[in-house]
Amino acid sequence: MRKRLGIISLFIILCIAFIAIWNYSYYQGQEEAYIPIENNRPIPIIPSETGVFQRSEFALDYANMPVDENHQRSMKTYYDNRAFHGAPPSIPHEVTSERSMGENTCLKCHENGGYVDKFEAYAPVTPHPEMVNCRQCHVPQKTQSLFKGTNFKKGTIPAVGINNALAGSPPVIPHQLQLRENCLACHAGPSAPKEIRVTHPERINCRQCHVPNNKVTEDIGNFIRKIEN
Amino acid sequence: MYTSTTNRRSFIKKMAVLSAMTAAATMFPGIMFAGEQEKNLPKGGNLDWKKAPCRFCGVGCGVLVGIENGKAVAVKGDPKSPVNKGLCCVKGYHSVMAMYGKDRLTKPLVKKNGKYVETSMKEALDLIASKMKETIKDHGKDSVSIYGSGQWTIPDGYVASKLFKGCIGTNNVEANARLCMASAVTGFLTSFGIDEPMGCYEDIDHADVFVLWGNNMAEMHPVLFSRLLDQRLKRGVKIIDFATRTTRTSMAADKSILFLPQTDLAVANAICYEIIKNGWVNKSFVEKHCNFNKGLTNMGYGLEDKYKFKDKPEKISFQDYKKFLEDYTPEKVEKISGVSAKDIKYMAAYYGDPNKKVMSLWCMGPNQHSRGTWMNNLIYNIHLLTGKISTPGNSPFSLTGQPSACGTVREVGTLTHKLPHGVVMNKEHREFAAKIWDVPVENIDPKPTYHTVEMFRALDRGDIRFMWIQVTNPMVTMPKLKRYRDAAKKEGRFIVVSDVYPTPTTDIADVILPSAMWIEREGMYGNSERRTQYFEQMIQPPGEAMSDTWQLIEVAKRLGYEKQFYYNEDTHIEEIYTEYRKHHDNKKHNMAPLEVLKENPGMQWPYVEGKPTQWRFNSKYDPACSNGEDFHFYGKKDGKAIIWQRPYEPAAEEPDAEYPYWLNTGRVVEHWHTGSMTRRIPVLHKAMPHSYVELNPEDAKRMQIKNGDKVKLTTRRGEIILPASVNQRGVPAPMQVFVPFFDENMLINDITLDSFCPISKEPDYKKCAVKVEKA
Repeated sequence: MRKRLGIISLFIILCIAFIAIWNYSYYQGQEEAYIPIENNRPIPIIPSETGVFQRSEFALDYANMPVDENHQRSMKTYYDNRAFHGAPPSIPHEVTSERSMGENTCLKCHENGGYVDKFEAYAPVTPHPEMVNCRQCHVPQKTQSLFKGTNFKKGTIPAVGINNALAGSPPVIPHQLQLRENCLACHAGPSAPKEIRVTHPERINCRQCHVPNNKVTEDIGNFIRKIEN
Repeated sequence: MYTSTTNRRSFIKKMAVLSAMTAAATMFPGIMFAGEQEKNLPKGGNLDWKKAPCRFCGVGCGVLVGIENGKAVAVKGDPKSPVNKGLCCVKGYHSVMAMYGKDRLTKPLVKKNGKYVETSMKEALDLIASKMKETIKDHGKDSVSIYGSGQWTIPDGYVASKLFKGCIGTNNVEANARLCMASAVTGFLTSFGIDEPMGCYEDIDHADVFVLWGNNMAEMHPVLFSRLLDQRLKRGVKIIDFATRTTRTSMAADKSILFLPQTDLAVANAICYEIIKNGWVNKSFVEKHCNFNKGLTNMGYGLEDKYKFKDKPEKISFQDYKKFLEDYTPEKVEKISGVSAKDIKYMAAYYGDPNKKVMSLWCMGPNQHSRGTWMNNLIYNIHLLTGKISTPGNSPFSLTGQPSACGTVREVGTLTHKLPHGVVMNKEHREFAAKIWDVPVENIDPKPTYHTVEMFRALDRGDIRFMWIQVTNPMVTMPKLKRYRDAAKKEGRFIVVSDVYPTPTTDIADVILPSAMWIEREGMYGNSERRTQYFEQMIQPPGEAMSDTWQLIEVAKRLGYEKQFYYNEDTHIEEIYTEYRKHHDNKKHNMAPLEVLKENPGMQWPYVEGKPTQWRFNSKYDPACSNGEDFHFYGKKDGKAIIWQRPYEPAAEEPDAEYPYWLNTGRVVEHWHTGSMTRRIPVLHKAMPHSYVELNPEDAKRMQIKNGDKVKLTTRRGEIILPASVNQRGVPAPMQVFVPFFDENMLINDITLDSFCPISKEPDYKKCAVKVEKA
């Protein structure tokens, strides 16, 4: 009897395991219970603020990085390949594959940036690397000619350096934040245009001091105190 | 590039110091509120943003247009729109530039002795009205016609239908949506008895598997495709690209399956075979909610003039259907379709798995198909057999290509057989429409006249003498184009074209009217998910440009229909919409009132008791369900959807020894339709300056054709020379070629075939035989 105890207990364990697995797989195999869908989820009016921290892990690197003055971008080159302020930039270089998605091509350079010998420039960092169908919005320019001329005029471009109310107070954000919530992508690092490169990337929580100044937020009129009793 | 020497610990330390400093900083006096800070700021970048649906495709993204000094200067996605949640595509972002092309039409032009002469709007409208009267007098009411578009706003289409069907009394009302959505409509009507998708875009956020049927979504519906990609990132959903050509969508998909043109019919049946064979049928659903039908076969292809076809539905049993499917085992279908039995079983397994929510998406692949109605039916068959329909995430979803193909053409009913509610053949429907239109019921002709292809054939024959074309460019888009271009130029034809730019269609016009486009006027569009979206007039139209709605009203008044066209110039859009809503005043189709549309980023119909309906036919969501069951397909009298027995039949013209290649046509992400708008947007034109022919690299190598070489394509209709595109944007399968149709200087439709689906009358632009040579 003693001798067989081992084998019997083994069988018992196997048996229990079998029942457990059977039960588990049975319940897993059952159709999911119906989960009611919540209608009309509120869509936030204020643009999502999570993006602001997206590149914060690099903040100190940005702070320590020396400025490569010979290869820095300026606002002029920044606006050269944009149809208007806020338009998605066109692609100023050739693309290797017409067909592929962005994750294995575009993002190789534009996720984290870096110096590209061929173009003698730093690759700009995308503020929205999670969107990989890059050429849904960004297209190369294969010709300089036009089909027909255009009378379209670029609107006013917000000026740099005059967005603070008081001398020395933090400038407000003069542009739209949609798809550009990740401040450090454009305002820090060697590819940032020199006029808008931030002096203190390590502070990370940009919007603690810099508030948006645009009409994305709902206009609620003048703020009036509600006086009760 | 990074000198990442900082380790985690020191990083956290520095962070702690920083936050402590920040906290201390806030205790210092002198903190200001944002409002105070902003007071003295310059206005730069602070535009006036107004909401509108995008001008281009049928996705219907909400956009915000930035206005500065009376000009539209910027666009961004509307974060409040549940359609696109703030994202656009490259066309949407640059859409406002389409209004500012240098050659914008600003004055009416009348052709006199072969030359266009500028005239006033009043004179041009007088001329149109008198010409219409004269034509009706000489050739009868069925000799005048209007050809509109899925880019018509709802009021445009409504007044066109009211004028032609209600007042003049001819059913010669068609729209270019016949060329893109007709098969979807007949698919819905035959399977469910009522048009438009049961689901909505939110299905994307619930589905586990996406099957794209001949649908290059990454380029054609990029905003929705990005939503799919986003779901994959968050939830790991599967995307299956089932197509004839390798595209960006195939590259992004988890699995790309290629089939031979036209054999999607066989593959869909094979999927149904597998579902039944493996016991994946949702028996209780099928028993309660489905009937089985078969229709006529060997229908022909509509290649001859005056071709007529009427299907004869006949009830069959489940056993009959099962027996029919025995011809479609995966092994047999593998031989026809080039899709391996394994891949067919792979797709069937996803559809059959009760724990997977599946969404099928399609657009022009199954629609522009010589058996388009059948193909739509077959996709519904799969979803009905498995009961995966009308619930969040389980959704056969037919996408559209124009901003208001649904809103105007399908809902207002600007097709020859349609009325806003119902069809002209039905006496009650005629009486209902006549009452709202304030016309005698005898005015509405009970017989449909011509569908689009036949309408242009009638113009050729001389049965139609007057045609008014609005917001569309048929002289680029008609298949077998040369015949119809010659037809329009014939003596004794009078063509009026309302457009915003000179196009190949204005080239054949006797009168060209300058139109106000998009946000230069007020209107509404209706998108693929039954969402009606309103836009206000934001800027002034150039010169004498006038909205299509008002052009029609002016002519209607001149024809003596002041009573029916009582609208006030300042409030006519509101008046028309309020009148139009009366046609749909029932639980199955109620439209939201205008105030609701103005306040919201669009609203879905049926809009019942202040709520939109996201999932139709499902009693949890749809108040029109009345049979006490979970589902009610109320489009059919007995409340049951139909599973159709539809076989595989070959295309009208398949490759042979003389013309050995398949010719497929379509779009690219940069250009929309015929490019009359997008080619005038510098960013888009520079990105895609001209058309091309895509070749398979093996074929190209054999013929020694390199990228950019000139290639001659010859079909039985004619020939054309295009630059080759080898291994670029898309790669067709061997012995197939693909050509985008946007380029008016390389008119591929000169050589396409005008065969169409006999039920929907929608042409098959995706299939004809072609010879390919190095030029």
